[in-house]
Amino acid sequence: MTGLIPFRWPAEWKDPSKLALLRGTPINCLAGQAPPPFPTGDLKFIRLEKDSPPDGIAVRAGVWPWVLPPERDVAEAGPTGAPWVDSNVGTIHMARTLAPGKPVWLTYAPPAAKQGPPLSSFARPVAEAAAHGARWVITLNERFVAGLDAGSGEALQAWKRLAAALNFFERRPEWRNWEPVAALAVVSTFEGETELLSYEFLNMAPRRQLAFRAVLPKGVPHTSFDKQKAIVYIEPGPPEGEVRKRLVAFAEAGGLLISPRGIVTTPPDQTRMQYQFHRAGKGWIAVPPDAWYDPYLMVRQVHLLLGHRLDVVRVWNGSDVGSYCLASPKGDRAVVHLIQYGAGPTLPVTLGFDTPYRVARVTTLESERILKPSRGELGVEFAVGEFSDYAAVELEV
Amino acid sequence: MPWSRREWLAAAAAGALTRKARAASAATVAVGRCSSYGPAVVPVMATMFGQLGGIAGLVSGKTVAIKINMSSPLRERTGFRPAWFTRWTHPDVIGAAIRLFHKAGARRIRILESSTEDAHPLEENFLIGGCDPNALLKLAPSVEMENTSGLGSGHDYSRLEVPGGGLIYPGFDVNHSYAKCDVMVSMAKLLESPAAGLSLSMENMLGIAPVTIYGDAAGYESPSDEPYGERTAIFATGKRQPPHTSPAEKNPDSPREPGYRLPRIVVDILKARPVHLAIIDGVESQTGTRERGVRPVKPGVLIAGLNPVATDAVAAAIMGFDPMAARGKPPFENCDSTLQLAEEAGLGPRDPGKIKVLGLPVAKARFPFR
Repeated sequence: MTGLIPFRWPAEWKDPSKLALLRGTPINCLAGQAPPPFPTGDLKFIRLEKDSPPDGIAVRAGVWPWVLPPERDVAEAGPTGAPWVDSNVGTIHMARTLAPGKPVWLTYAPPAAKQGPPLSSFARPVAEAAAHGARWVITLNERFVAGLDAGSGEALQAWKRLAAALNFFERRPEWRNWEPVAALAVVSTFEGETELLSYEFLNMAPRRQLAFRAVLPKGVPHTSFDKQKAIVYIEPGPPEGEVRKRLVAFAEAGGLLISPRGIVTTPPDQTRMQYQFHRAGKGWIAVPPDAWYDPYLMVRQVHLLLGHRLDVVRVWNGSDVGSYCLASPKGDRAVVHLIQYGAGPTLPVTLGFDTPYRVARVTTLESERILKPSRGELGVEFAVGEFSDYAAVELEV
Repeated sequence: MPWSRREWLAAAAAGALTRKARAASAATVAVGRCSSYGPAVVPVMATMFGQLGGIAGLVSGKTVAIKINMSSPLRERTGFRPAWFTRWTHPDVIGAAIRLFHKAGARRIRILESSTEDAHPLEENFLIGGCDPNALLKLAPSVEMENTSGLGSGHDYSRLEVPGGGLIYPGFDVNHSYAKCDVMVSMAKLLESPAAGLSLSMENMLGIAPVTIYGDAAGYESPSDEPYGERTAIFATGKRQPPHTSPAEKNPDSPREPGYRLPRIVVDILKARPVHLAIIDGVESQTGTRERGVRPVKPGVLIAGLNPVATDAVAAAIMGFDPMAARGKPPFENCDSTLQLAEEAGLGPRDPGKIKVLGLPVAKARFPFR
């Protein structure tokens, strides 16, 4: 199931002539409630039914990835007044954590044509899913289908762009095995009464460019946290048994463990941001003043406890851009996926890193160029520039 | 961080550290040519402080508050140019002042700014902007930072009354840092402002108003816990009043127009929290406004004075504007002249004929912004 690249065949297409569109694309599978009413050759069909997910695939609903346009009668701003971004990052990472090894498919449909996004931006959901290690079941809206039926230049160009995004990721299969670069690990069951809080944490952290890796408590004893500086344990109560032992050992080795009350019974050594700080070996255990209830505040607090100095990627002029950094096993190469959720091109984006990368290749859906770094106050910076929907910044030490 | 011999000699020769500030220098403004950031800033600033009569009398043994300009959005650059070069007071200018204040005997130096985005420690906002705060914090033994958008490290807000009652507000509730300081320094950037004409040392003081009380998401009954939002609804458009716990404006029937309100609120704030030293970073900047489009520029000047009105008037002249211009003339096309209102309020002179400029003459420093 891992290599399947799904496309939801539009119900309007009753004959096989449109199969020609799939030539030159890596799409190798059709998905939906029923197969097309004609032979589809080598294309596999995966039945997607609401209450009966296919075996071996973690299917999630998902949302169209964008900044909600102002004309919609819905909330337009987040708690900080920043534009409200609908993204699937939290959904994907939670699904990947809960079902390790299983491909994650997102099955959302695009917004209706009237208020929907431009056809060219259908490459964005493809890129967002692929960048984070999932697949979007490519689903066209009525306008896109009608445009392709009519042979409109806009629709054909948009289809090519979408296919280019698919091909881009297929040519780089090694990225699927690269590890996220993150100073923070989020440990949670992502279930029960903690599900909303831990899911929203994964959802909101990217809005602050706060990189994380998600780990289940049962995976803690077998996970190396060598590359993390902090772990936040999101459960109603403190960790117990082996998990507690391992997490406390992480703190004692110099890390910061942020855990619900009860993990330590001694008086705190200091208080910062109302969190009680307990010395643990070379590191610290931080306990919140009260039970977490607001994921926005929680993400902010955790980010500040960790400190922006440890930000993996610094993004300037990217208020509607999400970043996700992966590194090769040797650590000599990395890629930063940049997803632009707003409409139109971005402002000229600059990325900053502590790691002294010496060269970057910026690939957008339209172009590719090599960049040399400039020296910033906090490390190296790359003038990535403007792009629409997606850019990959490949870095070499 | 130890001083270089060059910095010591420059500071000593200028008398920046030893002489006491003279009362007669209130309408004196020093202008220095400074073509780039880096080590060049300290000797230029030292010379300028000397021209103002020295700063020892002003800062020795005192707690000095420096209100910098680090306006939101924190993650926005002008093109690829970091905001330190275009919109914000550059760290090298802040650092130069810290060094000179420390050497002149300042007991405690506090760097202050209020973010309209968040209640982060100011150090974190420096990092978000792409600058290491430790470089400034380590310049002297007693340097601190505080984000004054809310209570910060204080337990209560401090009430600053406007002597004579004020034009719009009779008083303001502010972060404790602005009350518990002996010396107030406004350290601004050489900029235009779409709403107030000029964004210099006077307009910079608008930012002392905490966002929890004067921001768009401020509470109605009492200050909000979390600061966010611009100061539009309360200050600019007057669509609402501050929380009940803070002084309400004097005349709710007065014009609700930003061009009327903001210049007057600036004057009220300056009367409530006088500025002892104004420093304007014009080494690099940007012309224009967000609405009209902006362009990074290098005017290559530093401007300092003991009176913010006189200092801003000289800065306006350097930018190619007439400090005597009234509403309707650049840069006050959309607002009343803050310079005029401040002069009428007795805060200082704006008439170039009444201001003594030392150092680089205005004609040689001139860098037209339009």
